[in-house]
Amino acid sequence: METETRPTGLRNPWLHLAISVICVAIYELLLKRGAAETANPNSSWSWTGLTGLGSIYVWIAIVFVIVSLITWLYVLRYLPLSVAFPVSQSVHVLVPLGSWLILGENIVTLRWIGIALVSLGLAIVAKPVARLEEEL
Amino acid sequence: MTVVALVIVLVALVAHTAGQIFLKHAMASSNNETGFRSRAVAIPFAIGIVLMTTQFFLVLGLLQRYDLSFIYPFQGLGVIIITLTAGITLREKLSLQLMIGSLLISFGVVLVSMT
Repeated sequence: METETRPTGLRNPWLHLAISVICVAIYELLLKRGAAETANPNSSWSWTGLTGLGSIYVWIAIVFVIVSLITWLYVLRYLPLSVAFPVSQSVHVLVPLGSWLILGENIVTLRWIGIALVSLGLAIVAKPVARLEEEL
Repeated sequence: MTVVALVIVLVALVAHTAGQIFLKHAMASSNNETGFRSRAVAIPFAIGIVLMTTQFFLVLGLLQRYDLSFIYPFQGLGVIIITLTAGITLREKLSLQLMIGSLLISFGVVLVSMT
């Protein structure tokens, strides 16, 4: 599945993975704002999420979704899904950290433990891949 | 959490997993000569995009009712589910190290979201 040689520099798939992850973090925060703005549990359409399109935040989020998707597709071309996806989940460290920094949300001890576990898991997943890259 | 919410969460999780598998399959079949014109790329790509779009709106609908932190435990489970599914359906090599790392990330994301 990995017959193509991996490009370096600006075309490095790891760079694109980082861009994709940052875009996901931004759009998840925007989506929550947009969803909060358009929340109306009485509407029979609300389970489809389509009512969210009434918020400008959701539309800006969609732009970030598209950028994250394009960079993600590029990533998928070069990296196995079983490696790229766990690494992409570092977004779940970025979102609470972003909420903590920007929105001033509290992070409880258990959440810090979760953040530590994700970071540790990331190091374990990424380490053999990084070694493999060096050998290439 | 109501039964409807649980069903929607599960459908979103399945759509996300399947969507990722289809997109990876499409991109793995693509090359510089044929690109997206080849049917082997275009069909799984289209299915993948439809599944990802479905997942996007279902999650948006859930976000209208629940906290940002409510959806994430299930996305956390998605890590280990997608890693395993990629190993089974795409025959990607799953090392012990990869499995341990994915499990830690899964568990960590669940913890982060539940608190």
